[in-house]
Amino acid sequence: MNLTIILAVTLVLAAASFFITRYNKMSGGFTTVLSSLFALVALFMMRGSIGEDFSIFYFNFSITTVGWYFSVVMLIAYSMTSFFNPFWMEKMMYPGSYNFLYLLSMAGTIGMFFAKDFITLFIFWETVVWSSTFIIQLGKSRKASYIYYVVSAIGSMGTLFAIMLAYSVSGTFVISEAFAGLSGGVAIAVFFTFILSGLAKIGIFPFHVWLPEAHGSAPHTFSPVLSGGLVKMGAFIAFLSVTAFPAYDIFADMFKIMGKPFPIYFLMFLGAISIIVGTLMAIKQEDAKRLLAYSSVANGGYILIGILMMDQVGFAGGMMHLINHAVASAAAFLAIAAVAYRTGTTKMSEMGGMIHRMPVTYLVYLIAIISMAGIPPMGGFVSKWLIFQGLAKDGMLFLAAAAFFGSIGSFMYVFRPLSAVFLGQTFTRDLKKKEVGFFMMFPMIILTLLSLLTGVFPNIFLRVIAEIQTSVGIDPITLANRTILTSNGYLDAFRVFIVFGFGFAIAFVLFVVRRKSRKVELMDTFTSAEFIHTRELLHYSSKFYAPFERLYDKAPDTLTAYKKLAVKVGELGGMVESLFYGHKPEKTVFWMMAVGIIVILIGGVV
Amino acid sequence: MNVMNFVYGFIVLVCVFIFQTTLTGLNRKVTARLQKRYGARWYQQFLDIFKALRKDSTSHGWVFDFGVIMALGGIMATVIFIPVAGFQAFPGLDNVFVISYLLAVGMLGMAMSAAGSGNPWASIGVARALTNMLAYDVPLMIVIFTMIFAFDSSSLSEISAMQQGMGILGWNAIRMPLGGIVAIIALLGMLGKKPFDSFIAPAEIASGPMVEYGGKHLGFMFILHEFMTFIEVSIILALFFGGGATIWEYLLKYAILYTFTNIISGVMPRFKIDQAVKYFFKLPLAMAIIQGLVVIFTGLGVTLWF
Amino acid sequence: MVLDKKDDRNVWEKIGDYFSANSIWMKWYCTGCGAIEMPPTMTSRFDMERLGMGPMATPRQADVLLITGYLSTKTLRRVIYSYEQMNSPRFIVAFGSCTINGGIYYDSYATIGRLDKYLPVDLYISGCMPRPETIMNGFSGLIEMIKKGEAKGWKHYQENYEWYKKNQLDSLGKIIIEDEFHE
Repeated sequence: MNLTIILAVTLVLAAASFFITRYNKMSGGFTTVLSSLFALVALFMMRGSIGEDFSIFYFNFSITTVGWYFSVVMLIAYSMTSFFNPFWMEKMMYPGSYNFLYLLSMAGTIGMFFAKDFITLFIFWETVVWSSTFIIQLGKSRKASYIYYVVSAIGSMGTLFAIMLAYSVSGTFVISEAFAGLSGGVAIAVFFTFILSGLAKIGIFPFHVWLPEAHGSAPHTFSPVLSGGLVKMGAFIAFLSVTAFPAYDIFADMFKIMGKPFPIYFLMFLGAISIIVGTLMAIKQEDAKRLLAYSSVANGGYILIGILMMDQVGFAGGMMHLINHAVASAAAFLAIAAVAYRTGTTKMSEMGGMIHRMPVTYLVYLIAIISMAGIPPMGGFVSKWLIFQGLAKDGMLFLAAAAFFGSIGSFMYVFRPLSAVFLGQTFTRDLKKKEVGFFMMFPMIILTLLSLLTGVFPNIFLRVIAEIQTSVGIDPITLANRTILTSNGYLDAFRVFIVFGFGFAIAFVLFVVRRKSRKVELMDTFTSAEFIHTRELLHYSSKFYAPFERLYDKAPDTLTAYKKLAVKVGELGGMVESLFYGHKPEKTVFWMMAVGIIVILIGGVV
Repeated sequence: MNVMNFVYGFIVLVCVFIFQTTLTGLNRKVTARLQKRYGARWYQQFLDIFKALRKDSTSHGWVFDFGVIMALGGIMATVIFIPVAGFQAFPGLDNVFVISYLLAVGMLGMAMSAAGSGNPWASIGVARALTNMLAYDVPLMIVIFTMIFAFDSSSLSEISAMQQGMGILGWNAIRMPLGGIVAIIALLGMLGKKPFDSFIAPAEIASGPMVEYGGKHLGFMFILHEFMTFIEVSIILALFFGGGATIWEYLLKYAILYTFTNIISGVMPRFKIDQAVKYFFKLPLAMAIIQGLVVIFTGLGVTLWF
Repeated sequence: MVLDKKDDRNVWEKIGDYFSANSIWMKWYCTGCGAIEMPPTMTSRFDMERLGMGPMATPRQADVLLITGYLSTKTLRRVIYSYEQMNSPRFIVAFGSCTINGGIYYDSYATIGRLDKYLPVDLYISGCMPRPETIMNGFSGLIEMIKKGEAKGWKHYQENYEWYKKNQLDSLGKIIIEDEFHE
């Protein structure tokens, strides 16, 4: 199976879905399902052809392990989410364009991860950015897609500048050779501008402002892709910046903090700040999708710290967190989308007690948050454990403090939609709602099983990551049968799961031995013996963590800081305009002549 | 991993239950003597648990029951992993992160079933419990991280073995004194004892998460509380006070540590939850960071002082 | 008062009653003026915890409901609601003479005359109000009754449910009301 064939089929189906949607909306949705499933299966089977090169027109591709890994993760997010597409076609304003852009962005990501030279990478990157900008607009607000595009454009321009600057030194665009021969100030400039698009896409502070807007207002079927998939594109750029660059060698004689060169430590520090900011902001949110968007900010910080560590354990942790976060975040967003399909809202204060009507969605969301919070036996625990052990070996205190804060704070914010949306009292208008259909339940169940698989048998994925580690020249992580061995501790995830099952079995036996409980309805509860008849009043969902939120209520918000900066730039422009472009023509003529004379003088001297 | 490990695990569970429940009963007497009265019988806690298990119960749905079973199951699994005086039912799985995060399964199960009862008091109690967890865990985790860096191992039995054989001066609480103080304060927070027990406040939020539990659910919660106490005190004992070379030394140190925290909490009032968070992020966090910087940059405390 | 002293428990129920007797949790609900004698009984001077008794916050967790003194019709509605939320085996101990025959409020239109008609009482403690020594005496009596299997009020309530409900509805009209101020 040729990569060019996969790309061609996807593009053809993209165009076809546009026209099919004109005739029958649901069939257009089903076309996206078929196309993404085909791409997933075909790419999965390309494991055997690692190391080959393809080229078509002016694009050059080469199949690498890391590209295969990233694209399979991406396509899992795309294909599972596409199952929800047919059911949202009725409510979408431009369903044909939506399907077309969906598949076009998918093709862009496939091409991007296998790119052999930077021009190919950049073209496919921009395809994804443009198509997702137009999809976000089909959601709730237009402002979200402006902010998304502006931040992405800053990143893309930075990367383009870095590629051109590197070309001027090394003379080639091929990824593995483009950064040869860089040193000194040029190296630092190239490094920081190159990783700009990675930071912007992952959502690292201070570029995280687009995540809550875009994820919160995108159409419900695209947010899982945005959070579970597109954020990983930024992680790929971060990966390139330490492997293709190669950062540790070029900065080897710079000032080092805790064994890491200063530019890399600075970026890891930014990652730590985004963990803290993401966690604190997520605790405050009232809308479920914005909350999960901020959790993507926090998890992006973990991925960045992991990848930049470039050692045996931490790097593996960062790469494994990619797939764990993609699966868990996509599952959580899909569960919220399923609830929104039935109730029409994602604001947590307007919903309650949905578990009694939608138990399967509840279980999917529960397992997704167990993985996101990093609790065994799900996958998120293994990747966070690896990152913690890696940080502990190097002794990086502040990064570890931020990582622990994010990990424990995540219990707080992931529990909130569980308690506000699924548990608690059922609202009167929701008493008769039904579970979503099997076609929508299927991808959620698949993602749940994947989460369980990464937690109980992590070595299946860690073997692939070990290959990636050898391919970039660091020691691979040591695996033995079902155990992960590190220098300061080891973990056998399968045995942890078995013992957990044993404990559960004992508790279960103890429970059923006693007499069966008397079932009472939800409103028959302790209310200090007062008689309450309104269900909505007994539900605790808004301002859930009010005492904690009060502690940092007055903290500044990054988006308003940017807006104030924009106002100041506008004022500066206004001042220049008033100085040089006044109502009197004498002023303008004077300044033009003055600037012209100065330029001629300087030009003459130089 | 064979059947004998599971049998050992079951024996560990039963022994831990008997020991901890007796110790809790004795501590009720200690608290009573602090208040100048006689107090309950030393086996009163057993009577309470068996009475609760014996009563009928009411249930609000399947998640109410399932959460309780999941909580108790997770905590029982964690107890099986704890090393007691070098003996482990499942050797090699006593990584400190595994134990701390399996504790979170217990908390999540209890939170799930409490919120599933539909009572707002339960949700408020759970929100306070999670905030409390954020407060005490950050300084404690920083100190644990320092110790993993210093001893290059994150296994409880290895760290406690490294402190033995040198008498009282070998304890980490003496070698890294700031860390030891932070550990005891964090232990008070973990156990949910005054001044950090605002999430079980009986008169304020009608006992928080336990508001709708009756009969066997309440019995399960009591058993859960006993096991959680054992796990938390064991973690601090193994990391900071040298574990125990023999079983009797372990049990004696455990009893002294637990009674000590009980006496401290017996004379304290209760913090509001935001006061607790503000407190933990001031002095204990500062002490933990200073301890961490001292150990990482100067290596003081990794070897003996004398 | 339930006068049936027949003992027809099997061995599991006898063991269970031993546990129930030695660990009684009272519902922390002060219904009338007799409740002023509860804090001295609970605290250091008279120390109820020696008998194994202690307060618990909600009816689901509690074993015994203490009716401490007079009971107005408003409170009776809440007491019936709380009693039905409790889990069996559950006991009621009535303090004071107001629960026996109306006490000093015997001719009031707002309080009830005999508690026994509305809820099954296991033990009366007479007095106006009974002092802590009397209360401790009464609780010891309750513990003996439970151990012997004589505290069967909750079974009596289940078996004669219609009789109790008829009495309650005759006096109160409705138990679960919608609006307090326009009843």
